[in-house]
Amino acid sequence: MSLLRFENVHKAFGGLKALDGVSISLEAGCMTGLIGPNGSGKTTLLNVLSGNLAPDQGDVIFDGRSIVGLQPSAIARRGVGRMFQITRLFRRLSTLDNLVTSGCAFGLSFHDALDRAERLIEELELTAVHDEDGGNLSGGQQKLLEFGSVFMGAPKIAVLDEPFAAIHPHMREVMVRFIRERHAEGHGFLIVSHDLPVVLGLTDDLIAMNAGQVVARGDADTVLHDPLVIEAYLGETAVS
Amino acid sequence: MNASHLRTRREFLVSLVFLAAVAAVPLFVTSGYLLGIVIVAMYYALLAIAWNLLAGYTGQFSLAPTAFAMIGAYGTGMASYHFGLPPAVGVPIAILVSAVIGMGLGRIVVPLRGPYLALTTIAFAEIVRHVARNAHEYTRGDFGMSVPLISSDRVMAFYLMLALLVAVQVGLYFLLRSHAGLYLQAIRDDETAAAGRGINVIFWKTVAFTVSGAICGFAGAMYVHFSGLASPDIGHIFETGLVLASVVIGGIGTMIGPLVGGFIVQFAAEGFREFGLRHMLVFAAMVILFVRFFRQGLWGLVKNAWDRLFGQGAARPARQVKEAGE
Amino acid sequence: MMTLELILQGLVMGVFYAMMGIGLTLIFGILKVVYFAHGESFMVGAYTYALIAALLGLPLPIALASAVVVGALLAVIVERLLIRPLYEKFGDWQQMRDEYAIIVTFGLSLFLINAANQFLGPYPYHGPALTDIARFQFGDIIIGGHRLVAGLLGLLILGGALWFIQRSFWGKQIRAVAQNRFGASIAGIDTRRVSALVFMLSGGLAALSGALLVPLFHAQPDVGMVPALKSFVIVVLGGMGSPIGAIIGGLILGVLESFGAFYVSYAYRDTFAFVILIAVLLLRPQGLFGERAREV
Repeated sequence: MSLLRFENVHKAFGGLKALDGVSISLEAGCMTGLIGPNGSGKTTLLNVLSGNLAPDQGDVIFDGRSIVGLQPSAIARRGVGRMFQITRLFRRLSTLDNLVTSGCAFGLSFHDALDRAERLIEELELTAVHDEDGGNLSGGQQKLLEFGSVFMGAPKIAVLDEPFAAIHPHMREVMVRFIRERHAEGHGFLIVSHDLPVVLGLTDDLIAMNAGQVVARGDADTVLHDPLVIEAYLGETAVS
Repeated sequence: MNASHLRTRREFLVSLVFLAAVAAVPLFVTSGYLLGIVIVAMYYALLAIAWNLLAGYTGQFSLAPTAFAMIGAYGTGMASYHFGLPPAVGVPIAILVSAVIGMGLGRIVVPLRGPYLALTTIAFAEIVRHVARNAHEYTRGDFGMSVPLISSDRVMAFYLMLALLVAVQVGLYFLLRSHAGLYLQAIRDDETAAAGRGINVIFWKTVAFTVSGAICGFAGAMYVHFSGLASPDIGHIFETGLVLASVVIGGIGTMIGPLVGGFIVQFAAEGFREFGLRHMLVFAAMVILFVRFFRQGLWGLVKNAWDRLFGQGAARPARQVKEAGE
Repeated sequence: MMTLELILQGLVMGVFYAMMGIGLTLIFGILKVVYFAHGESFMVGAYTYALIAALLGLPLPIALASAVVVGALLAVIVERLLIRPLYEKFGDWQQMRDEYAIIVTFGLSLFLINAANQFLGPYPYHGPALTDIARFQFGDIIIGGHRLVAGLLGLLILGGALWFIQRSFWGKQIRAVAQNRFGASIAGIDTRRVSALVFMLSGGLAALSGALLVPLFHAQPDVGMVPALKSFVIVVLGGMGSPIGAIIGGLILGVLESFGAFYVSYAYRDTFAFVILIAVLLLRPQGLFGERAREV
């Protein structure tokens, strides 16, 4: 049985069909890349998943139950870990407190949250900014911190929106290593990224979207040679 | 221990020292007039602490703290005026009523942010004040209702108010030390992120409004049993200004700032009155200057000076940290 | 015809509300914050008119013009000193701009009210009416002379302001900044100057509204508080950031109040506005005419 299923999801903003009948199924422990040109509906899909947007039509089944209509916090506690395209963290809480807060909210005891936070800070190489307010961290450090926050819980699926955009190559390495290890432990990943080489380095399972629809799904070879995908990307190039 | 805990604990310890000093005041001061000034200062400190919980720690810029003080004041005022109930019954009623109304308001304004929240709460505060002024049969309008004194002994009244202040400060400390404190601050910094990490934003915002409303109501009820009159002036917009001034001048988002700020504002108000200068004029100017130039208030200034004199880790500028990280 | 008279009275008040609201909505449009000191532009206009017309005895048009100038000047100074950090530094400030805007403009409002009280005293200053005719009568409808003249003048100014915002070159720049400050600045629009212009415009209009109402309400330190709170209601009613919405909202509020005061309760006449405000914010936060903004 699949872990996450989008069933014929529609979402329109005024006349613009951001999602036009999307159906996707993801297995537990998946490692899937979601690609597509700008405006193809990727972020909208994630917002529907995390409960920040309600779909006009269709259903989202997570772990055997519909999550449409649930509060974002409830969806997060069920095991959907969301990382935003624009880094979101608690700017006036220290690095450690950012992590501890998330840990407590995900149901850890204060003590356990503190333990796990210390370990994640090591692992994500944030020791130098252990007590610094989140808002004072560099862009890359903030991404890593947000990353760590998601893994203070035990997400069944971590949803990452452009995690590698505009960050230092070294931090990208830290992040990729982190993703591999967590995946090996059984956490699923859905990664939205423009950075095809990095995505391809992580996974061979791709979903391509264009104009609010899924146009291809499969291994990298199939998807990247799919005529619809090529058209989608070339179409974008032609316009811009 | 983590950074925010250390910060909160340091502020709490300093505030205990301050409260101990306040407790000693009646040993040296016998003038009922001066004790009265300190009692009023404690009232403002309570409102400031309650508002700071909402604005400073939860990021909810409500403009209705004095409306809740008024609800508390009229809660016990009406209980005593119409039913002859003693303060021992009236004050708990006042706390309950203001907590329930705080919960209702909090639940209703959950989806509103920034400017929309400020406008809704100021409208709420004005409605409460208009009702108090116009519902003559129940409130006696602008005349206000005379209320029995909680104690004819000023020193007794002083220590009752102080007990409340200490209880609130200690309670707040334990609230902030628990995960709840972190949740509230997380909501302040980024609601969407907080929800994304599993924090029930609706619940915790409502909690903040309820607790803050209850503290304000409690303070208002105690205040009328000290002053002897429940009147609509308690909820005047200038009073809200004084509460804001206390918090901003003392240091927003700290445990000690609003407490000391409340005292400063009340003492300075008395002082300026001597010179025939309107105290609100000075406070408003100070609020503008502080929020424009010293966002962290007096406590922030004191802390910086302390770090510069004694600390090794004297506040590094943020940019340096960034470079070290990259 | 009681109904018609109530409508007319309400529309006249609505014109003044709209003059207040249009400035507030423009400020919200370009900065996305509430400006709490708007009522003090009204107050300053009222005092300027009363002082110049009654104390110095200068002609009324000069008094009205000076009110506009003083109000506009005050608003521009405030913009330069206190508002500019909101958009100049917005990188660091994004998280805190709401709190800064609320505290600083609320503080400013209290400061100006108390400054007026300190230097001009708490007692009311009176100003002359624009016309000697005490009242006009059309059939059964009676309306005060000053009310009608001031209302018509206000309507004229309101039309001019609307033309300026919707049609003129400057107005287009204002709307560009309101839609996307960053985009507008890339397109070569001087956002500082637009911001100053918006404050000048809104300060001037609010001051004029205050000046025109002096013969009815007199000039007092806190005279701007109620109109300011009502202009929030209008702005919310019409959709925050929409000038036409502010005008329609102003007229609606004026008429509703006029009926409410007559049929429901005169004592609660100032309370209706707040009930409307809360109802609109909760049920239709985008206002009656606004479009819902998309978030996330």
